[in-house]
Amino acid sequence: MKTRHLLPMTMLALAVVAGCSSVPLNNANLDAAHNDYRVAQNNPQTRDGAPVEMKQAADALALADASLARRDRMAEVDHLAYLAKSRVALAQEVGRQKAAEVAVTEANAARDKARLAARTDEADAAQRNAASSQRQADASQAQSEASQRQAANARQQTAAAQQQAAMSQQQTNDANVRAMQLEEQLKEMNAKKTDRGMVVTMGDVLFDTNRAELKSGGLRNVEKLGGFLKQYPQRKALIEGFTDSTGSDGTNQALSGRRADAVRTALVGMGVGSERLATHAYGEAYPIAGNDSADGRQLNRRVEIVLSDDSGNILPR
Amino acid sequence: MDISCKRRLALIGAASILLAACASTPPPTAQVAVSTAAVAHATAAGAPALAPMEMRSARDKLDRANAAMASKDYDRALTLAQEAQVDAQLAEAKAESNKAGKAAAELQEASRVLSEEMARKSQAPGRQAPK
Repeated sequence: MKTRHLLPMTMLALAVVAGCSSVPLNNANLDAAHNDYRVAQNNPQTRDGAPVEMKQAADALALADASLARRDRMAEVDHLAYLAKSRVALAQEVGRQKAAEVAVTEANAARDKARLAARTDEADAAQRNAASSQRQADASQAQSEASQRQAANARQQTAAAQQQAAMSQQQTNDANVRAMQLEEQLKEMNAKKTDRGMVVTMGDVLFDTNRAELKSGGLRNVEKLGGFLKQYPQRKALIEGFTDSTGSDGTNQALSGRRADAVRTALVGMGVGSERLATHAYGEAYPIAGNDSADGRQLNRRVEIVLSDDSGNILPR
Repeated sequence: MDISCKRRLALIGAASILLAACASTPPPTAQVAVSTAAVAHATAAGAPALAPMEMRSARDKLDRANAAMASKDYDRALTLAQEAQVDAQLAEAKAESNKAGKAAAELQEASRVLSEEMARKSQAPGRQAPK
């Protein structure tokens, strides 16, 4: 039986085997796998993020291509194409994962940077506040120092003013005392106030009749006068002599002149500067009482000493 | 000889040649072990939830590979085991990239919220700061 059916059996077997290998040179699944690979290769996320996985995918594709070239069964080529396709998809997923990890790292870095910036801003703001508070404190201090200086100044001024007031008071007191002293002295000399100034009258009893020598009473008067003039060196004196109407004008003129000179001489002898003393003889002129009575005539026989004011002025008659 | 007898013999002959051609594949125990480990690894990484389609495909193919091993169809077992492995690996990679993507998105959202807060904060004292 075997020898008779060997040839047809062999031919059938060959036909079956040949039938297994009659596949076209293209495989749709392998083409799709190649396409996927190209897409993945053009994606930087995958190409750069999963190079190892892409290499494995390329190797799988090569195996599939070789199987196709060998004209293996379609099922075999399909299987190898499936493996290659899966490897490409794997590479894409790994690329995605790497990108996400990078994003996490970058986000953390950005968050840290933002936190740092916020802290720096806080610190800067705090520093500005501190600086402005310091400036305020300094300004307050400067103000308080200025106020203190003002207060010290004011105290100084008050003290100075008080001192001045005391001095003025003292001066006033001194002036008062001096004025009182002056009044006293003038009173002692029996000086009378006239519109020409203070006038000291030395009466007739201080001279002997018709004589020009001063008697002791007159000398005492002269002493008082001299003391006054020495105490007030700025004052001057005008010594005026007068007689009554008895006797001739000429005699009277001469006598009045001599009496005035006597007073002057006495004063100079006491140390009063002669330039301060002027004399004038008026004779019978300017009587102060009637010449018809003895008392009146006595009164007219006088020497008047006109005292100047403080500046040395004497108003003329 | 009648046709049915011829046909029967032809079929048997073809089958034996085919079997003779394919019977040289050893049992792919190593590959099946690798694929089993890949499926377990992917399961542990959370792939069933995050890449369900790929996981189902991997498990299904692994089961069919084991069945093929049992019926000594070693070529088939090898093919299925190989595909189960790449399916499991793809499922795991999808799961991982999914998780990383979620983490990145959450972090970016948190950063955005933080930036907004800080922008609001810096505006408030900015009104008082001297310019």
